[in-house]
Amino acid sequence: MARLVIDPVTRIEGHLRCEAVVSDGKVKDAYSSCTMWRGIEPIMKGRDPREAWVFVQRLCGVCTTVHAIASIRAVEDALKIKVPRNADLIRNLIMANQCVQDHVIHFYHLHALDWVDVVSALKADPAKTSELAKSISSWPNNSTTYFKAVQDKLKAFVERGQLGIFSNGYWGHPAYKLPPEANLMAVAHYLEALDWQKEVIKMMAILGAKNPHPQTFLVGGMAIPVDPESQNAINAGTIAALNKYADMGIEFVEKIYIPDLLAVASFYKDWANYGGNKNFLACGEYPDANGKLWLPAGIIKNKNLKEIYPVDHKNIMEYITRSYYTYSKGDKVGLHPWDGETTPNYTGPKPPYEYLNVDGKYSWGKAPRYEELPMEVGPLARVLVAYASGHKEVKEVTDMVMKKLGIGPEALFSTLGRTAARGIIAYVTAYKIKDFISELATNMKNGDLKIANTEKWDPKTWPAEAKGMGWHDAPRGALSHYIVIKNKKIENYQMVVPSTWNLSPRDHKGQRGPVEEALEGTPVADSKQPLELLRTIHSFDPCMACGMHIVEVKEE
Amino acid sequence: MDIGIIGVGNILMQDEGVGPKIAEFLKTQYFFDPEIEIIDGGTLGLDLLPYIEKFKKIILIDIVDFHKEPGYIKILKGEEIPPYLKTKLSVHHVGVQDLLEVARFMGVMPEELVLIGIQPETIDLGLDLSETVAGKISELVNEILKILNDWGIKCVLQSHQK
Repeated sequence: MARLVIDPVTRIEGHLRCEAVVSDGKVKDAYSSCTMWRGIEPIMKGRDPREAWVFVQRLCGVCTTVHAIASIRAVEDALKIKVPRNADLIRNLIMANQCVQDHVIHFYHLHALDWVDVVSALKADPAKTSELAKSISSWPNNSTTYFKAVQDKLKAFVERGQLGIFSNGYWGHPAYKLPPEANLMAVAHYLEALDWQKEVIKMMAILGAKNPHPQTFLVGGMAIPVDPESQNAINAGTIAALNKYADMGIEFVEKIYIPDLLAVASFYKDWANYGGNKNFLACGEYPDANGKLWLPAGIIKNKNLKEIYPVDHKNIMEYITRSYYTYSKGDKVGLHPWDGETTPNYTGPKPPYEYLNVDGKYSWGKAPRYEELPMEVGPLARVLVAYASGHKEVKEVTDMVMKKLGIGPEALFSTLGRTAARGIIAYVTAYKIKDFISELATNMKNGDLKIANTEKWDPKTWPAEAKGMGWHDAPRGALSHYIVIKNKKIENYQMVVPSTWNLSPRDHKGQRGPVEEALEGTPVADSKQPLELLRTIHSFDPCMACGMHIVEVKEE
Repeated sequence: MDIGIIGVGNILMQDEGVGPKIAEFLKTQYFFDPEIEIIDGGTLGLDLLPYIEKFKKIILIDIVDFHKEPGYIKILKGEEIPPYLKTKLSVHHVGVQDLLEVARFMGVMPEELVLIGIQPETIDLGLDLSETVAGKISELVNEILKILNDWGIKCVLQSHQK
């Protein structure tokens, strides 16, 4: 029996580590451990709730906007502020654009290389690659010359011995199944995705006045004027620019991402057998004019798509039985985030160490549970809840994907399903962006320029004590912020981030977290190159996905 | 405008926030002629790609592990930079390393890239720089101004501007 350790960036804090017990070429058990933030209270306590978002949006290096959104929603919930429709629309645009961009980047730059053998692309016949590309999409960059040029570029890179971004792959691993031509096509699109993303994020710069770290968020609305007559506001010119970036999003997802996803997935259908979970939580997203969410919220238990339970944040408890913390009421109890405590209690081995002490506390991540059950959050949760709720667009695209791959809904509970779900969400969201833009344009035409509700801006209007929470179904999954306001200041601030759900350690009942659960049964062809484990881990888009390029493997 | 200054790092992690803090300092204290762009790069990686592509000359400001005493400052140019990013002090270094490798692969590297690095004292949760690193701000700024002068940029303190 071997213990595999996947520890991406050993010398720094904030990393994800997985230890897997492998026997007879399969994962028998797994432990995920992470150093998430040890609580943000020390920085947030005593601050003005209206400026909380400025700080929390800096928490994560990858998802800059998501914490800002959840934070202002938490404060608005606490102070019972209703946001004008235009502000919701602009937030929807920021969130949706971030979602599409994030999913494309995840697929091509953080996940594709688990399925695509870059070095094999050197052996591809550019003419055959061109035929393949033409057979799956009408995307114009599909000539033999084009693929030859990409291949030459890659060759030059490899010959210089500077693989750079590709230097940590397990090239030639037997688990790679794509023919060289499909690999070359994917490498070409890897590059195109980079070119594409640096254009589409300009939508963020328009709506956020700045990227990274947009600065137009505001408790009560948005701090960006909407005025067709003004040069310095969202005007007709802005709408045209937004439409341009939205169209670029649709085109890329429809003509490159989805065809590639289907082409790659068709070679890896056995991955419908690995990497699944039973329980899912989606908090829903994109409020419409009546406050109803376009993508529905819901809980799925035990893979049962026939019954979707409503989501109530009061059912969330965080356990630290196996986490490096201690609670004042003992380590077996669960605490709702409003009552959350973050008192470190490190009992693990002294670094540098070889293995975690998995019989005791072993992670800096807490274990959030919904009605005492671990929950997977993210695109798969969103797709399953929407699909089971009969959501028109999600159902249509999911059915199309399943039909093309020849699989049924039961196959979605897997690594394959999770990776497909990300594409499905990107696809429906890319189109939805157009609706948000058109509604905003109509409002402007009708003279509705309201962008912020400032009735409660003055702390004198606040109650002596208030509690609030804000959901945001961020690209990685359900994110929630919790705030307690006392005497106009922050008394407690807690957040439950998607990676805390997905990468959670065991809990008070010994139940595994979603990634731990998903890894069981994963085949491992070569314990020195645990490519298969990375496929499932990366499919969750863990917060440290970029760090996971760097892999160190140890064997007992 | 073909010159950019990008301060990277996380302002919630004490000395790790030195890059964005320097960017803010330059923006509020100086005029530059001709104009240059100063960016608070935060902790992001690939999102900075448009800036890497846009500028001909870039100064990056970041913490770096030189294995020297806290506050040690060193200027790295072009090919000297990547080896130093291999020792990661912070999660965002993963992003910066990826960013530069991707830029190289795409062929969008600037003509000149300079990294001004400083050895941090503490990178724990907290908003303030350590005294050691805070005491090096003027030295860091002077190094930046020297490079900008070499590149033909006039730097004037706003308080001296009439």
